[in-house]
Amino acid sequence: MALGFAVGVFGVLILAHAAYSTIQYRGLLKIMEEEFSGPPMTVLAEVLLGLGLCMWAGLTVPGKFLSIHPDSEENRIVSLPLNVDFMIFNHRGRAFSSEIDMKLKY
Amino acid sequence: MVTKTEETELNRLEIQVDNGGGGAWEYLCLVRKLKVRRSDKVLKHGLSILNDPKKRSNLGPEEWTLYEQVAVAAMDCQCLDVAKDYIKVLQKRFPESKRVGRLEGMLLESKGSWAEAEKAYSSLLEENPFDQVVLKRRVAMAKAQGNMSGAIEWLNKYLETFMADHDAWRELAEIYVSLQMYKQAAYCYEELILSQPTLPLYHLAYAEVLYTLGGLENLQTAKKYYASTIDLTGGKNTRALFGICLCTSAIGQLTKGRNKEEKESPELHSLAATALEKIYKQRAPTKLPLLNSALKGLKI
Repeated sequence: MALGFAVGVFGVLILAHAAYSTIQYRGLLKIMEEEFSGPPMTVLAEVLLGLGLCMWAGLTVPGKFLSIHPDSEENRIVSLPLNVDFMIFNHRGRAFSSEIDMKLKY
Repeated sequence: MVTKTEETELNRLEIQVDNGGGGAWEYLCLVRKLKVRRSDKVLKHGLSILNDPKKRSNLGPEEWTLYEQVAVAAMDCQCLDVAKDYIKVLQKRFPESKRVGRLEGMLLESKGSWAEAEKAYSSLLEENPFDQVVLKRRVAMAKAQGNMSGAIEWLNKYLETFMADHDAWRELAEIYVSLQMYKQAAYCYEELILSQPTLPLYHLAYAEVLYTLGGLENLQTAKKYYASTIDLTGGKNTRALFGICLCTSAIGQLTKGRNKEEKESPELHSLAATALEKIYKQRAPTKLPLLNSALKGLKI
């Protein structure tokens, strides 16, 4: 968990560094009065590396993913809730004597 | 809607609490959330919490909900003195409360004094004529007295006002099925499917009612709903698979004299039969020959 978090922070730092290098590169081009066609290869490689690290961190840090299938083994509906509002007390369970010591002690 | 994970969690907590481990409060909260009816366990563990003054003060303001829950469980287990004591405690704390008034009505119901309970509920309804729970209790009382037509009348009046209450529709459907009024039960299940189309259990119940009604059109619709149940449960519902096989054979019997062009393709039936065999092989291999002979007996 901590490792994933650290890797995520590292990935974000790499991306920030790539952004800074692009800005520096643009400044350099302005001095040399050339067109800005695209960032240099090193910056591209850095961005891809940062992407990989951040994605890995994003998938490992939150923990176990839950299933979204409605018919998967965990999500399937086993029973509908018994209608508690319509519960009647007139059932055969009345004949059973309870074994609990039913006294309200204070 | 109790899912499998929730059920396993509930069973685990139940075993843990029964064997003396802690966690009674979590168990009671889960029972309350899932709305299952385990009154004897609730009563036993609720009493153990509430009789211990230290645990009681740990609960804080939640203890009153626990009082209510254990009072209802006590009424279900017919321990009426415990219920009466708890209701008295609640009354002392919340003197003018409607909720406590409802509990008193339920206590009169469980004692069997129907007339007094009716009086209590009518007085509660005078103050608030649209109190859902009291209206539902009146239906339950009619059902408990065996007056099914009265229960149906009250429930229909309730549903005219509160059409979105699916528990009430389900209750009405079950009452109709118990009285063998299948057409009306089918109507109730249609309402349920309209409001919650992703619940496979409603599709299954509707298909079964249609199959019981019989007749070519109903059988064809029943087959469609069995198929939709299989679709929603990913093919794991054995009852729906059996339903398809039976529907196909019943339709075949009814259309025996008709043109062969109108005959439906037997693919669905053979698919269902294969799926059934696979499930039985996996889960109950000893019963496989029984299944095979039963499927062969269904003339297609």
